[in-house]
Amino acid sequence: MTAQDLKNSILQLAVQGKLVPQNPDDEPASVLLEKIKAEKAQLVKDGKMKQGKPLPAITEDEIPFEIPESWCWCRVVDIAFLNSGNQYDECSDGILYIKVADMNLPGNQFDICTSSRRANVKATDIIPVGSIIFPKRGGAISTNKKRFVIREPICVDSNTMAMTVINGSILPYLSNWFNSIDLGKLATGTSVPQINNKDIYPLLVPLPPLAEQQRIVKKIEELLPMIETYGKAESELTAFNNRFPDDLKKSVLQYAVQGKLVEQRPEEGTGEELYQQILSEKQRLIKAGTIRKEKPLTEIAKDEKPFDIPEGWAWAKLGSLFSIERGSSPRPIQAYFTTSEDGVNWIKIGDSEVGAKYITSTSEKITHEGSKKSRFVNIGDFIISNSMSFGRPYIMAINGYVHDGWNIIHIMKCKNGLEFNKDYLYYVLSSSLLVEQMKDKAAGGVVKNVRSDSLRELIIPLPPLSEQQRIVEKAEELLQICDRLN
Amino acid sequence: MSLNNVVKSLQDVMRNDAGVSGDAQRIEQMVWILFLKVYDAKEYLWELYEDNFHSIIPEELRWRNWAVDKKDGKAMTGQALLSFVNEQLFPQLKEIELDEKTPMSKAIVKTAFEDSYNYMKDGILLRQVVNIIDEIDFTEYAERHAFNEIYEQILKDLQAQRSSGEFYTPRAVTDFMVQRLQPLLGESIGDFACGTGGFLTSTLKHLEPQIKTVEDKESYNRSVHGTEKKALPYLLCVTNLLLHDIDEPDILHGNSLEKNVREYKEDDRFNIILMNPPYGGNEKDSVKINFPVELRSSETADLFMDVIMYRLKKKGRAAIILPDGFLFGTDNAKSAIKAKLLSEFNLHTVIRLPHSVFAPYTSITTNILFFENNGATKETWFYRLDMPDGYKNFSKTKPMRLEHFDPVAEWWENRQAINIDGFDKAKAFTEEELKNRGYNIDLCGFPHEEEVILEPQALIENYEIKRASLNTKIDGILSEILEKLGVAE
Repeated sequence: MTAQDLKNSILQLAVQGKLVPQNPDDEPASVLLEKIKAEKAQLVKDGKMKQGKPLPAITEDEIPFEIPESWCWCRVVDIAFLNSGNQYDECSDGILYIKVADMNLPGNQFDICTSSRRANVKATDIIPVGSIIFPKRGGAISTNKKRFVIREPICVDSNTMAMTVINGSILPYLSNWFNSIDLGKLATGTSVPQINNKDIYPLLVPLPPLAEQQRIVKKIEELLPMIETYGKAESELTAFNNRFPDDLKKSVLQYAVQGKLVEQRPEEGTGEELYQQILSEKQRLIKAGTIRKEKPLTEIAKDEKPFDIPEGWAWAKLGSLFSIERGSSPRPIQAYFTTSEDGVNWIKIGDSEVGAKYITSTSEKITHEGSKKSRFVNIGDFIISNSMSFGRPYIMAINGYVHDGWNIIHIMKCKNGLEFNKDYLYYVLSSSLLVEQMKDKAAGGVVKNVRSDSLRELIIPLPPLSEQQRIVEKAEELLQICDRLN
Repeated sequence: MSLNNVVKSLQDVMRNDAGVSGDAQRIEQMVWILFLKVYDAKEYLWELYEDNFHSIIPEELRWRNWAVDKKDGKAMTGQALLSFVNEQLFPQLKEIELDEKTPMSKAIVKTAFEDSYNYMKDGILLRQVVNIIDEIDFTEYAERHAFNEIYEQILKDLQAQRSSGEFYTPRAVTDFMVQRLQPLLGESIGDFACGTGGFLTSTLKHLEPQIKTVEDKESYNRSVHGTEKKALPYLLCVTNLLLHDIDEPDILHGNSLEKNVREYKEDDRFNIILMNPPYGGNEKDSVKINFPVELRSSETADLFMDVIMYRLKKKGRAAIILPDGFLFGTDNAKSAIKAKLLSEFNLHTVIRLPHSVFAPYTSITTNILFFENNGATKETWFYRLDMPDGYKNFSKTKPMRLEHFDPVAEWWENRQAINIDGFDKAKAFTEEELKNRGYNIDLCGFPHEEEVILEPQALIENYEIKRASLNTKIDGILSEILEKLGVAE
């Protein structure tokens, strides 16, 4: 239930006569109505308003609900008159000239006090004090925006309509009744919604005795601040609830990379053993010339370890597990774009979707010439953006070439069934553990950057391979359940 | 061998025994054997001082007579040992006869064995386990309160423990709290969820230097009381106190929440209460019924706060560790509990502890509430203890130390408001101000809390408390609206 729902419900109660008790001593509404009809006749006689086409009497079938005895039904035409605005020439003196947008000016939230323009208009175009203005054209109608005119007369544009009460004392009640009407439902016209006089004049208005009107208005005014307080609390709750699923997912992933998600099984080996296997496989590939030899990395110091990991796990630097390099671009890049069949995929930041796991397509291709000056990424390699919103990893589902805004983590092909668990890697690289480390290492002033050297120094926790798989399975189960919270 | 190796060796041996599956059972297996060994060591001392000492344990069941391996090839092992343990040792110890006159020092043998069980099925392996334990020299370890270290090691293996919301309170924290409270010999100290007795032993450590006479020693022996619900920590607590020369450990094996708070008498009240109650539990109606309606929370920690308020003597003082949820939660029960705390007790200090104090068990942030039973609160000082320089977080290898509390100790006697970078670090609030906040007393908190990633359980608990608070707030507003509409009950 939003605050608006609550407000609507209370207004509905109000116009049905159920918000405040009736007082049998009140002068019945029929008397008030007669009085207003007489005032209207006088205005017509004085030429201040047009008679207009008479509308049919109210029939039983039209009446939407029962009203108390002392009330009576009438139509808008009986108690108010409508006016729409026009295009006027602006001038510096003159009365306030309100276009729909001006209703949003600061100070105008309740009634009109200011405008960005003024105009001088004929008497019949003046919207007098005692009016409610609202949009009558376009999408603005459905906002149900309404403003009082109670300080000074104004004029309005052709997209705005004004309802002016014949008897000023009913204005407060009438405006509350009017607030219970959804103008969006009254609008006609398919391409551009419009409200015309004929849509409003016939509307049925349940009219309470004047004294009761005052009690109703007072009650609503007492309730409004409470509804607002409710609205704030409800928004707070909604925002709070919306944050939670993401926070929970982050928490589950953090839990996973700390080794707390699944139990350790000594028969699966240790992270240290896995690490050694990877190192010797790397050596083999370097000897075979398949990968380049890289600068050796320093050992991980005790206080570099972010948290305690289970005994069977090991900390390892990314650079010792994988070969990492930065992308590069042929320049000027535009010269190398191509649409030809033998062009190669050119991976831009725009090809990556926030929250996605894979790069599946590129919008641009470059020529073979250009690719010589760039860096190749293979299917299965990881790429991480290194600036601005750094730290988002993606797994390549296609191959291609990357520019220097990307760092590449090459996942080498190993023998002996030694395979990296890509999903585990993906979780570790997306976890806050890595983001925190990257934040620490990011250099640069305005645009923070993570160099590939720094990326090599990042440490990740390494469980034995089978445990990695169990972690991934458990994590995915949990993440799916978390999704149901949305 | 060092204690760490002992536990590892024990686990290695037991892993080969088919009857012991999982860490929980391995630990239970270790604990009753440890108890018998410690108890035997104690009996040696008691025999020295008492002329007519008789063990409550039947002669042939005493550790010295069946467990000690004299290396002469005659030590009981294999099937003989198994039969002995299963058919004689356990049944008889469980059936020990007690009466009202039986001193605690003897009664504990029976209570220790009430919930114990021999899981091992291989008598030869059991002999190995007994031998490893027999080698431990407890006298040396007693000084280093190493038994808590054993339990810590054990808790580390017991992942299941995490779900119980029970965490071993680091020594630095218990020592700091005891220091602030300055227990005096002659005062009574209680912990109604004592776990392995960390607060009690910190207190004993503080009282020991005050012993000057034989009467003092008597006071010392009677100073601490604990209640513990779970069999395992109960057994370890009793053993722990024995190791601290408390011959009659006054530890109740039971649930502190199962007694109606209105039935507490002066005897049930204490001069000093030190506790770290379990968090996050969901208590059933059969427990909640022991509390006045307005103070009935479903959360265990809240109910413990109720118990504490009913069991603190006049002029008594308390220091309790509670999670953030207690501070920011404003559902009806929590608000009522805090209102009672502030109006009937003097909550003079709240220390906000940094995260990971309880690492590796949990990373949640906790707080120490200090209050006294000497009148209503006029003002409460909040103080945020920041992570010490050079620490990103505490961990098993870099735990919190007593020195890390030095800034609080310095500030304690000469309290000033402190503000850093626009965030309050230390500030006093009047009872009125706290009341006007709806008893949300989450003040002087850590500035970048949202960035710390809580583990799932703690995150979910905090979420539920906050959501309940928001719902309570909304319910309050909606009630007012209904009242205004004239439709309220």
